[in-house]
Amino acid sequence: MKGALWVCERDLRKFLRQPAIVLGAIVGPFLTLILLGFAFGGAITHAPVAVVRESYGPVSTNFIDVLRNQQNCVYGGVNCANAYDLVDVSDLGTAQTMLRQGLLKAIVYIPLGFDSSIGNSAVATVYLDNTDPLSAAAISGLMTQAASQISAQVQITPPPDTVMTLDLANMYRDVLYIEFMAPGSLIQSIMFASIIGGGISILFDKQRGIIEGYLVTPLKQYEIVVGVLLAGVTKAMFSATTMLILAILFAGVRPMTNFFGFILIFFTLFLTSLGLISMMTAYAVRAPAPEVYQFTAFPINLILYFTSGAVYPLEGFPSWMRTMASINPEAYAIHALRVVMYKGAGLPAVIGDFGFLALFTVLMIALATAAFRRAL
Amino acid sequence: MEAAVQILDITKRFGDLTAVNKINFAIDTREIFGLIGPNGAGKTTLIRMLTTIIPPTEGTAKIAGYDIREEQDQVRRSIGVVSQATTLDVELTAWENMNIYAKYYGVPAETRKERIKELLDVVGLGDRASFTVGSYSGGMKRRLELVRSLIHRPKVLFLDEPTTGLDPQARSAVWEYLRGLHEKQEITVVITTHYLEEAEALCDRVAIVDYGKLMALGTPTELKRKVMGGDVIEAEVGVLPNQALEALKNSQIALDVKKRENILTVLVKSGAEALPRIVELVGRNGGKIRTMTLREPTLDDVFLSFTGRSIREDTAVTNKRFVSSWAGR
Repeated sequence: MKGALWVCERDLRKFLRQPAIVLGAIVGPFLTLILLGFAFGGAITHAPVAVVRESYGPVSTNFIDVLRNQQNCVYGGVNCANAYDLVDVSDLGTAQTMLRQGLLKAIVYIPLGFDSSIGNSAVATVYLDNTDPLSAAAISGLMTQAASQISAQVQITPPPDTVMTLDLANMYRDVLYIEFMAPGSLIQSIMFASIIGGGISILFDKQRGIIEGYLVTPLKQYEIVVGVLLAGVTKAMFSATTMLILAILFAGVRPMTNFFGFILIFFTLFLTSLGLISMMTAYAVRAPAPEVYQFTAFPINLILYFTSGAVYPLEGFPSWMRTMASINPEAYAIHALRVVMYKGAGLPAVIGDFGFLALFTVLMIALATAAFRRAL
Repeated sequence: MEAAVQILDITKRFGDLTAVNKINFAIDTREIFGLIGPNGAGKTTLIRMLTTIIPPTEGTAKIAGYDIREEQDQVRRSIGVVSQATTLDVELTAWENMNIYAKYYGVPAETRKERIKELLDVVGLGDRASFTVGSYSGGMKRRLELVRSLIHRPKVLFLDEPTTGLDPQARSAVWEYLRGLHEKQEITVVITTHYLEEAEALCDRVAIVDYGKLMALGTPTELKRKVMGGDVIEAEVGVLPNQALEALKNSQIALDVKKRENILTVLVKSGAEALPRIVELVGRNGGKIRTMTLREPTLDDVFLSFTGRSIREDTAVTNKRFVSSWAGR
């Protein structure tokens, strides 16, 4: 079994001489995380919203004040201070024209007679530019919140039967979108390392006759396979760990976890590394031509990444994509990482994920071994 | 003395193609043995079987007394192999390349240190040990591969086209070092090559392989004598009517006559005797000779007579293939 260590040592020495190859596996996922994470995950701020008032009673004034001063509120896990800027517009027609021209995201319309019909179905209307669903959702959420706050303040005697209040209680601290994305980036860096540091280095070795060269030495076949996989896993773990550190330093990721949690995180990364390295090794060894491998490896990465729930919750997927996610090892790995990192969950919460990942990994090791046996 | 390599009816078939067809011969201990033949003749397949990379379809061979079918592990520990394409890691230093290779063979740490130093010194790379191999010239890489394959003190060393792609100077340096190593160590060397001057310069005995079969075996001198029995006369002719060629062929002087373009090659028993008689015979039949040279036969002549073609034509083809395979990359 010592032979495996030497095969691994050779590979790692080469890697140390040219770490740029695997650094490439970190740069891509890191840029994706930073650019996508900050672009998508940011709270809506300074959205222009018009106020059109035809009624100037105390309730509507109060409502506008609440809207104006809405601060430190949280909506959808996002801090919404300064979500919008209110501007006064004299009439509804002008405001609607402005919205159509893209100058406004929404209009708060307080119609004539609004204040006098309080307690008797007083209706104010919020016109939304719903071609921008994210802004529309954020603004309507804030408006609704303000409206229910006013409803609660207004004392109506006798109280109408229909009044009810809903309390929202967050189970966890607020998780920023970029944090939501980070586990996917860790897994993506493993996948990149598997494609580059795993598959392509084997492809080169095979082409240069080095794999065949092993055959004239006393190295056993299983030692070669184990050595190659071991080196690949080391490289993948190196890039995933670097990604984790970068995510904590630059993306504001704060894993809420204790020491045991970190063990779970690294075990997840290890299982995923072993599985993906074995998969890409098997593919590289059996690929009909190096070009075929190079052109197909990155689309494979895209499919696995975007059907894993890395950037959007699985609950938002159409059913065919959910089916793909259910057999996607990255989906299980990302689920496990999120649960441990942001919920501080223990082993029972991730045992199912580990089960699937272990099954996948065993299957891929078998595949890689078979591929080597046929190639050697 | 037991043979270092004993080949017994070895055969390899790939589907319908018989790459190696029932070859039998033995290589003695401490011999430098050459396997020559054009590309596709079966020599690489033969070497791949002897070095346990692929199993024979039929027959077997014994290397240092171990069967290549039954005792692969012992065979692998007894052989050193330098393959045609370089398998050095260019990112690593010469020392690292040697050290990792030694580890594959389980050479203990202390011995490793000594041997690496000793071997690198032998091929003049001692002061370059800590340079990455990427900075080496082609000849230096070849020398490094040569000593890397000796790190575990193998009994038999296989060299597949050891100087292909090297310039003449680097080539003769590799030969020099190879001779030196062979003198110092108790080792049998098997070389495949299509450079016949390489085989002549290095080998004690050569085997000519073509179409998967053993065509001839012996020392270069033996082979030349066996085929030619004498000297070669090469004549550049101006005019050579057919009747002159026929007359030569039918005469008692010539053992063999070949004409390609305006070069006439005549094999004779004794050059000094035949030279004037050929001039006379050609002249009498209306031919005209411009220049004439008398030379010792070379392995090229031997090769030509056994395979019916010159190995050089084949080399040209190989080189073209080599170029196109690089261009295609």
